[in-house]
Amino acid sequence: MLRITDLTFRYTRKSPVVLDNISLSLKDGEIGVLLGKNGSGKTTLFKTVLGFEKPEAGQIDFNGKDLLKMNRRERAEQIAYVPQDIQFGDLTVFDTVLLGRLPYFGLKASKEDEEIALKTLKEMGLEELAMRNTAELSGGERQKVAIARALAQEPKLLVFDEPTGNLDIANEQLILKEILRGTKEKGIGVLTSLHDLNEALSIGDVFFFIKDGKIRYYGDSSIVTELVIKDTFDADVSIIEYKGKKLIVNGGL
Amino acid sequence: MEAVRKNRKKNLLIITILIAIVCILALVCLFTGSSDMSFSDGLNALFGEGKSAHIRIIRNIRIPRVLAAIIAGAGLSISGLIMQTDLENPMASPSTLGVSNAAVFGANLSIIAFAGGFLSTGSRTENYLTGVNPYSTSLIAFLFSTLSILLILGLCRLKSFSPGVVVLSGIAIGSVWTAATTLLQFYATDTGLSAAVIWNFGDLGRATYKTDIIMASVVGAGLILFIVLSWRFNALLSGDSSAKSIGVNVSGLRFISMLMASLITAVCVSFLGIIGFVGIICPHVSKKLLGKDHRVSIPASALLGSILLLIADTISRSMGNGSAIPVGAITSMLGAPFFLAVIFFRKGDRG
Repeated sequence: MLRITDLTFRYTRKSPVVLDNISLSLKDGEIGVLLGKNGSGKTTLFKTVLGFEKPEAGQIDFNGKDLLKMNRRERAEQIAYVPQDIQFGDLTVFDTVLLGRLPYFGLKASKEDEEIALKTLKEMGLEELAMRNTAELSGGERQKVAIARALAQEPKLLVFDEPTGNLDIANEQLILKEILRGTKEKGIGVLTSLHDLNEALSIGDVFFFIKDGKIRYYGDSSIVTELVIKDTFDADVSIIEYKGKKLIVNGGL
Repeated sequence: MEAVRKNRKKNLLIITILIAIVCILALVCLFTGSSDMSFSDGLNALFGEGKSAHIRIIRNIRIPRVLAAIIAGAGLSISGLIMQTDLENPMASPSTLGVSNAAVFGANLSIIAFAGGFLSTGSRTENYLTGVNPYSTSLIAFLFSTLSILLILGLCRLKSFSPGVVVLSGIAIGSVWTAATTLLQFYATDTGLSAAVIWNFGDLGRATYKTDIIMASVVGAGLILFIVLSWRFNALLSGDSSAKSIGVNVSGLRFISMLMASLITAVCVSFLGIIGFVGIICPHVSKKLLGKDHRVSIPASALLGSILLLIADTISRSMGNGSAIPVGAITSMLGAPFFLAVIFFRKGDRG
C-alpha cells in the first residue's frame, strides 16, 4: 500500500539531513511502528507522508499513485492524521467528527457525510457525547474524538503521532484497543510512533528502528532484541519472556 | 441526529431574532436626531410627504447614515472575527495588519499636506447638503491602507503566514505609519491639525449613498466569501496540522481571508474614520454566547456589529446637542462594560 523509497529531507538547504535515504513499506491493514529517540526524524517522516513537507529526494508510492503529486484533498481522502497535541476548536463532538468529511464535501456537509460522522461516533461509543462541546472532554475522550474524526475521513492509512502520550494507563489501553479495532476490521494501515516499547510490541506488525534520520533495522517482532534497542536508543534493556510474549524491562538500573 | 437538528433550529432562531433587532434599531435610529422632527413627521418624510427639509434630512442624511452603521458594523465585526481565527489570537482586530494606522496617515497626508476636501466637511450639517467631495481624502486613506496590507502580507508570505509573524509585522509597520502621522501633525497648521484630528474620530455622518454602495459591495463580498469558507475556518480552529490533514490549504486560506478582512476594514475606515473596538467586542460576545462554529459566528458577529453601531449612533446623535459626538468613543464606552460582563459572568468559561 505505502512504499517509500530513498526519501531524503532537510528543512533548509544548509541545515543537516533530517531524513537520510529512508525506505519502508507497509501493507494494507498493517500496523507499522516507528521507534527511535526524540529528534530521530519520526515526526518529520510523518509530515512528509502527510504532504506537510516536501522531500528533497525520493518517492512515495501509495497504492500505485505518486503521493507527492496528489493534491491536498485527494491525499486527505487517503491518509488521516491524529497529531501529538490534539486541539479542538470549541465545536460540538459531532461537528468535530464531521470535519473529517471536509475533503469530501468541501463547502457544505451532505446528509451522507452526516450519517458517516454519526456512524463513526456510534462505533467509537461516543454517541452520548455527540452534542457536548469538545472543551468539556477529558483527555481520553479527546483522544477518542480525534480518532473518530480521522476514521470519518475513511482513509486507507492512519498516521498517529504518539497516540498514548498524555494518557493514564487505563486510557492508554483503551486507545490502543480502539486503534486496533477501528483499523484492522476495515483494512486501514497504521503508521505510528510509540515511546513505550511494550505497547509497540503489543500492537505492531512491523517495526522500524530509526536513528539520526536513517532506518537502522526493520522487520516483525523477532527483530526487537536487546542489541537493536541498545543501538537505537543507547539504553540498556533486558528482554524476558512472560506468558509466551516478549517483555522489555529496564535493565540499566 | 435529532439533537443536531434541534441545535440548528436554535441557531436559526437566534439569527432571526438578531435580524429583527437590527431592523427595529434601524427604525429607531432613523427617527432619532437633533432636528425637532416628530415621529409622524419622520414617517411621512420617509414616504416623501411633509416639509421638504424633513424629507431631505431623512433621505439624504439619516438613511445613508443608518445604512452605513449596519454595513460598517457588520464589516468591522466579521473582519475582527476572521483575523482572530486566522491568527489564533483573541486580541487580533480588523486593524492588525496596520490598516487603521495607514488609513490615518493617508488621510492626514491628504488633509495636512494637500489641504484635502475633507477640511470643509467636518461634522456640520450644512456641509452634507452642499455636497462637498470627501472622496480625495478617503481615496488616499484607502490607498495607504491597501499599501500597508500588501506590504505586510507580502512580507509574511516568506514565513507562510505564521500567526506570530503576522501579528509582529502588523505592530511594526503600524507603528511606522503612526510615527509618520506624528511627523506630519508636528508640521501642520492649526486648522490642518484640527481637521486631521476630527477626521480620526469615526463619524457615520460622512456616509452618502455612494459610499454606502461601495462599502456594501466590499462587505457583501467578504461576508459571502467567509460564509463559503466557514468549514475551513472551523478546521483552522483545530490547529494547522489537523487542518492540513483534512485537505485545507492553510496558508492560502490565511492569505485570502486576511486580505479580504483588511480590505473591508480599509474601506470602512477610509470613509468613516476610526470606529474602534467593534471588531473585538462583537465577535467575542458572539463566540461566548453561541460558540465558535463559524457557520453561526460569522452571521451572528455581523449582526451584533450592526446592532452595536446602530445603538452607538442613536446615542451619539441624541446626546450631541446639535452635532453628533464621535461614534467611536461610544462604541467603546458602551461595548466595553458589556464585554467585561460577558467575560466575567458567563457560566462555563470557554476561554
